[in-house]
Amino acid sequence: MDFRLNPEQSLIRQTVRDFAERELAPTAALRDEEERFDRALMFDRLAELGLTGIIFPESCGGAGADYLSYVLTVEELSKVCASTGVTLSAHISLAANPLYLFGTPAQQERFLLPLARGERLGAFALTETAAGSDAGGTRTSAVTDGDHWVLNGNKIFTTNGGEAETYIVFARSDKAAEKHHGISAFIVEKGTPGFTFGRKERKLGIRSSPTLELIFNDCRIPRGHLLGPPGEGFMVAMKTLEGGRIGIAAQALGIAQGAFAAALTYAREREQFGRPIATFEAIQFKFADMALQIEAARLLVYQAAWRADAGLPYGQESAMAKLFASETAVRVANEAVQIHGGYGYLRDYPVERMLRDARITEIYEGTSEIQRLIIGGAVVKG
Amino acid sequence: MKILVCIKQVPDLESRFKIAASGTWYAAEDLAWRLNEYDEYAVEEAVRLREASGEGELVVLSLGPERAGEAIRKALAMGADRGVHLLDPLSHDKDPRQIAGAIAEYARGEKFDVIFTGLQSQDRGSAQVGLLLAGLLALPAVTTIVAFSHEAGLVTVRRELEGGARAVVKVRLPALFTCQLGLNTPRYPTLPNIMKAKKKEVRTIAVTDLPQVAALVRTEKLAFPDKRGAGVVLEGATSEVADRLIAILKEKTTVLK
Ligand SMILES: Cc1cc2nc3c(=O)[nH]c(=O)nc-3n(C[C@H](O)[C@H](O)[C@H](O)COP(=O)(O)OP(=O)(O)OC[C@H]3O[C@@H](n4cnc5c(N)ncnc54)[C@H](O)[C@@H]3O)c2cc1C
Repeated sequence: MDFRLNPEQSLIRQTVRDFAERELAPTAALRDEEERFDRALMFDRLAELGLTGIIFPESCGGAGADYLSYVLTVEELSKVCASTGVTLSAHISLAANPLYLFGTPAQQERFLLPLARGERLGAFALTETAAGSDAGGTRTSAVTDGDHWVLNGNKIFTTNGGEAETYIVFARSDKAAEKHHGISAFIVEKGTPGFTFGRKERKLGIRSSPTLELIFNDCRIPRGHLLGPPGEGFMVAMKTLEGGRIGIAAQALGIAQGAFAAALTYAREREQFGRPIATFEAIQFKFADMALQIEAARLLVYQAAWRADAGLPYGQESAMAKLFASETAVRVANEAVQIHGGYGYLRDYPVERMLRDARITEIYEGTSEIQRLIIGGAVVKG
Repeated sequence: MKILVCIKQVPDLESRFKIAASGTWYAAEDLAWRLNEYDEYAVEEAVRLREASGEGELVVLSLGPERAGEAIRKALAMGADRGVHLLDPLSHDKDPRQIAGAIAEYARGEKFDVIFTGLQSQDRGSAQVGLLLAGLLALPAVTTIVAFSHEAGLVTVRRELEGGARAVVKVRLPALFTCQLGLNTPRYPTLPNIMKAKKKEVRTIAVTDLPQVAALVRTEKLAFPDKRGAGVVLEGATSEVADRLIAILKEKTTVLK
């Protein structure tokens, strides 16, 4: 067993860290304030660095690196800007990865390649008003008409919505089938007639990541845009989310570390009662717990990534990693605000944003309750 | 064109430094390491020259302990063709003459047309290694360059002088240049290039296998500077504060003369 990064992994981490600190950090607070997605910075620059297709082979337009490199990348981005972290995580794990896992060679050539190269941005649309944790409740419909599928219905809460060119959309293709059966995955391109965008959500955190509603109104897509076997969309979604949870776990790990570092700097400088507050035992105990939780989260997240690289099953491990890292992010960011006292409650310090950003990691790609269902179910089943 | 770029791995300056038990250097434990900033300019300029000249070879060399291999990997990912690692676990105890001496032993046989180094290392800051290397190889050297152009064996550089003045220097190759902030904006190694660099050759040579060079300088003691008093805070109406600031600048500095 070796807990060290290999030379490529540490160089990737260093590169992304430099980029994040020099280019993302200066505008993170302002983009949050203005709820502004800066594509040139938050996606095009990542493409220039070769980060938009990290885990895919070169033949698919990727860099042929491993899951751990992907985790390190999302982690470093999220340390300074969680919105950029989720932009990349949704793009790679939720949009490009199902194409890699389930796409035909022709679909990969046409859709995966430009996503991996960063020429196009991807998004994933599963959630509906009546289908949140229960994706089996999907109502958006897909019916065949000659050489086309015709989609009708609405998707909500789509990360990268409006900005993305390529959407993985789930719809019920067999009305007669029960719940999880009869759902299929489709590839829909921005600009397809009948496909429009609804409202952009106004959020607590990750405010420079756009979250939009997608509206399908007799939207006709070619038959060849069915992704994976017909009626197996639920399986496609669940496999996709297994990988996605590693990305969100990495995002959460990054937020926790960003908040930790800010709190540490502050506590060393801030003096009360004639000495730095970091010298108070009560504050040191906070740091002890924060450091411990971050380290434990890191081991879980890296382990899940390692399992994915080793070709081992990782559904349960990615659920554990996501659950623990997201709860760690919220706890650590919360303590980081506490360590800042009143200043932590102001927009002037980054921990205020980090606490708001952390909260979503307990909700999307499966709430903490759902992660416990996954883990508990697997444990009891044995 | 055959190009050499000499680089060093240094601690991240954000690190919290402690003095080592020896008392003559900082403790290496718990530090994060990175490529010396000035060497990033050197690598970038070397890569640009290599790309512009098409043929030839760009060799990156570092003298240092095992971990210096990471800095070499970075330069390879930025575009160097192959690496040479002069392995020396005790490099932090060597003086600039010994470092330059070891590099010269290697470089002499290779007949480089151009050698780039950083102006100085961010940790020791002696700014000697490049110049000494040029001396040992009997090459002309131009230090502190902030612009570089090359045409048919003739290099034109701008170098930084005191007080912001610039000198233009023309020099025939072969020659050595030490690189200063402002020369260029170093590229990030892209992920695909990081992966490709894995396959590039890095030759490791133990410095103990090279002829030994005696030190000319010995570090007696390393100490933190005494704590300075807090800065002066000017308070009051803006115009009044501005007047006082101007007075202080006139009195204590040359910027308003
Ligand atoms: C900013 C943001 C970005 C998002 N991005 C995307 C995206 O890109 N693509 C996409 O498809 N979706 C996206 N989502 C949707 C997200 O995944 C869902 O919001 C999430 O899965 C929860 O669904 P819900 O909101 O309907 O909550 P509900 O499912 O209604 O849950 C409400 C509460 O009930 C609990 N609960 C539900 N079922 C159970 C159960 N069986 N046992 C115990 N507790 C239960 C939940 O844990 C939660 O606490 C995004 C959401 C947000 C806010």
